[in-house]
Amino acid sequence: MTVTSPPHSRRRPRWNSAWLFMAPSLILIAVFILEPILQTGWMSLHEWTIGEDSHKWLGVGNYDRLFGDDRFWNALRVTAEYTVAVTVLQVGLAVSLAVRLRRTTWFTTFVRGAFFFPAVASLAVIGVVWHFLLDPQIGLVDAWLGALHLGSYDFLQSEALALPTLIAVGVWKYLGFSMIVLLAGLQEIPAHLYEAATLDGAGRLGRLRHVTLPGLRQTLLFVIVIATINGLQLFDVVYTMTGGGPVFHTESIVMYLYQQGFVYFDLGYASAIAWVLFVIILVVSAVQLRVLRVNDVD
Amino acid sequence: MSTEAATLPVLAQRIPTPVRHVLRIAQRLGAVLSWAALTVAALAMLVPFIWMLGVALRTPADLYAHPASLWPHQWSLAGVSAIARDLPFGRLLLNTFVFAGGTTLLLLWFDSMTAFALARLRFRGRSVVLFIIIGTLMVPFQVTIIPVFLTVFHLGWLDTYQGLIIPRATSALGIFLLRQFFLAIPTDLDDAARIDGANNWQVYRRIILPLSKPALASLFVIQFMALWNDFLWPLVITSQIEMRTLPAALTLFQSQGGVDHAALMAGAAISIAPLAIAFLLAQRFFIQGVASTGVKN
Amino acid sequence: MKAIVRATAVLGAAALLAAGCSSGGSTDTSTGGVTKLTLWTGFTGPDRPAYDKLIADFNASHPNIQVTMDVQPWATLGQKLPSAWATGQGPDLATPSSDPGSIYQYIKTNSVIPLDSGVGTGDAKINASAFPTAVDKAFSQDGKLYAAPANLATLVLYYNKDMFSAAGITDAPKTLTDFQADAVKLTIGGDKPTQYGLSLADHQTIQMWPILQWMNGGDIVDTKGCAQINKPASVEALKSWTDLVINKHISPVGQTGADADTLFSAKKAAMEINGPWAAAGFQQAGVNLGIAQVPVGPGGPVTLASSVPMLVARSSKHQAQALEFLAWWTGKTAQTTFAQASGFPPVRTDMTDAVAANQTVAQFALALPNAKLYLPGLTQFAQIDNDIYVPFVGKITRGSDVQKEADSAASAINALTGCKS
Repeated sequence: MTVTSPPHSRRRPRWNSAWLFMAPSLILIAVFILEPILQTGWMSLHEWTIGEDSHKWLGVGNYDRLFGDDRFWNALRVTAEYTVAVTVLQVGLAVSLAVRLRRTTWFTTFVRGAFFFPAVASLAVIGVVWHFLLDPQIGLVDAWLGALHLGSYDFLQSEALALPTLIAVGVWKYLGFSMIVLLAGLQEIPAHLYEAATLDGAGRLGRLRHVTLPGLRQTLLFVIVIATINGLQLFDVVYTMTGGGPVFHTESIVMYLYQQGFVYFDLGYASAIAWVLFVIILVVSAVQLRVLRVNDVD
Repeated sequence: MSTEAATLPVLAQRIPTPVRHVLRIAQRLGAVLSWAALTVAALAMLVPFIWMLGVALRTPADLYAHPASLWPHQWSLAGVSAIARDLPFGRLLLNTFVFAGGTTLLLLWFDSMTAFALARLRFRGRSVVLFIIIGTLMVPFQVTIIPVFLTVFHLGWLDTYQGLIIPRATSALGIFLLRQFFLAIPTDLDDAARIDGANNWQVYRRIILPLSKPALASLFVIQFMALWNDFLWPLVITSQIEMRTLPAALTLFQSQGGVDHAALMAGAAISIAPLAIAFLLAQRFFIQGVASTGVKN
Repeated sequence: MKAIVRATAVLGAAALLAAGCSSGGSTDTSTGGVTKLTLWTGFTGPDRPAYDKLIADFNASHPNIQVTMDVQPWATLGQKLPSAWATGQGPDLATPSSDPGSIYQYIKTNSVIPLDSGVGTGDAKINASAFPTAVDKAFSQDGKLYAAPANLATLVLYYNKDMFSAAGITDAPKTLTDFQADAVKLTIGGDKPTQYGLSLADHQTIQMWPILQWMNGGDIVDTKGCAQINKPASVEALKSWTDLVINKHISPVGQTGADADTLFSAKKAAMEINGPWAAAGFQQAGVNLGIAQVPVGPGGPVTLASSVPMLVARSSKHQAQALEFLAWWTGKTAQTTFAQASGFPPVRTDMTDAVAANQTVAQFALALPNAKLYLPGLTQFAQIDNDIYVPFVGKITRGSDVQKEADSAASAINALTGCKS
């Protein structure tokens, strides 16, 4: 890109004003995100309680404790299961729905809208509504299941069913959003590619494999990465629906962090958990970007 | 359907007529079933909300007696009036609008400027900045909540509008999405403008921004929705009920001992209502907006 | 040139921060002789109007002291209060949590003051001698009283009179044997009952299971912090009750407090051990409600009490007025009003006649002398509750061996409290 300086301006290097453009965002990020993250890191190296005058230096003490902590590993497993399940289900369903709802008719508009609607509600509201919906006494789900003679289930109180139930709610909430993003990606794929494939003898599945999926790669990557990051940060739904139970079967990492930091006031330990989670998210996202990326858009 | 037209000729050479008939019927049947399944699924997605509305307008006795029913048998406005009586409604609505709207507007401005710099301007450390910005997406709120609370306190901004708005006035997601969008805009117009003597600010304001309306609109929609629904942030920053936002205030109706289902659901319904109504009226706008974030991603 | 541009930006930001810092913190809370106090609580439940009324009454009768109560969920309160008090900001008074054991954290960080200067006889002083001994002890450390009870709840046995008559039982059970027999009799429907004999909750609730142990003379922890949960009296009680739950299906498993209340309100359970806040909701749901004392077992009459502590901030500029407020709050006038408005028993043991007229309140007050607190006086109460006791009950009600789980719970408790036994 060639740059010609306008005749009357003073000679100012380009990168200078770039910083000016970025200043508001960067200052806010520095003050309200970076500094807190660093402070959390600092806290993780101490035994830290708010209000105490001095904090004992622990070095890697908190991290040592973390790696020997069974409950932490349980939380890691719960979070991993949730994230993988929700991401796979959500993206898989979203892709098939997007393909099916590709054309804009009054019917598809209605269906798209219905699927998207849960995204409009806040997680707190959703957690509370679903908790009641699944209630064995007043909840709709059990009542309908009973009417269909499908038996009665303690969804949130059963050790086996609690996490799958949360996964279902997670998929329900975000499915529409992913679907819409994928829909847009689909519309970008040129029609002539499909025609060419058909002429070459490709059936439905063949077209899916050779035209649709490759064409969606960028969009898929975006959707998968966002779904993964969301999944790893699982908290609101657990907090409002199960509190981490029964017997820690739905305790996610952030839920465990919350317990340690805000119920037991052990902020040093909670900060260590936070940092480990942060690193995990970074690594997972980096791996996904490497594995799934084709064009380097950077 | 093009599918049919495409496959039939190929198959036609090998399959006798009666079987072809059956195949066609099966295909039609499959299509109808798929339509039906989709309709059921779509309705199922909405059932929780319909139920929520119902519970808000029912007596507790009715709820306990007829759990399988979506609609009230005994209507009651007790839940709604509990909410109206206990909460300074108008004020809460105002606060929520100011918070969600004000923050989103600021955010659009700051994010677009940053995205412009990242997409269009060359400078040393560009990749590092981008990397850091994306990295902040990966930090759950609970991690930074206490240091942020302390910072806001030190600024004297607790229980104020600026305390609610300014810390949230930029979004890594917004920066990222806008950057992707800007990258896709051809540079010819930029170059032409620069030749005519435009500086960076003018290129940003006169060329890039006007072309970005769809992306800005979609970002507005996403962020407004997210901020409207955010209840944890206002709870942390505000203590007085007069400064609370609607979703935050509704947590006042949840407790361990005794649940007023009707009030809780009425509150839930009311907190969703503005967004839901906007969505119903302008669904295409919402969806097209979100959809265009997927462009060139 | 570039340096100047850069510098301006940095200076601008710095100015912003500086301006903010200087105006932060001190607000004038005393204008023209009127002292303004702030109180943070977590009373989000249906009993909130009763607290609002108390505050309004105080403000009306004390023109020189005006109190504002800010309510937020307990969870948020617990997140903000430590930092707020540590930085010298925050309310003059607060109830940090619904758990009595939450005070230790704030005592440790020196965020609150002892109330002793405000304790004494007469209306202007906090009459600590009138509080139940258990509460007094739970709110003190090193002989100093740190909190006044914002409320006091005891648990009683609620029962559905219609279900009782349908099963041919005339009165509420008075002994442990009757209690268990009735629970079985009132469970209808075999494996998936349509009606449960007893609605038990094990998490996110005011605790019911400790009562089942206490009825048999067992306990979770003793006053020295040594585990009692695996001793014979306790194990025997737990075994008999879990047997009933698992084999006779007298109660659903894994309910929260709210779930248990809903079960009883929906007329799907015949009995529930619960506190005063539930009465109004049950009546509204149309239950033909009976209230009785918790049945008596070999351990003697016993039930669970819980009290929300109210603390005074060290950073408060109006400590004298805050103490005055506490004295008024726990005084006879306020407690009579509160008992009648909320259905809670008064926090004083010297008021039984004053509230005898109200049947419901009288029952709760009756339970006071025999009420014990859950995990009293233990600084590690949160961990014992969350990490040990609640999962313990969760496991044994799902079939795990009681003695084995009790033993492992006991060693976990002893490890936490440092008991060497």
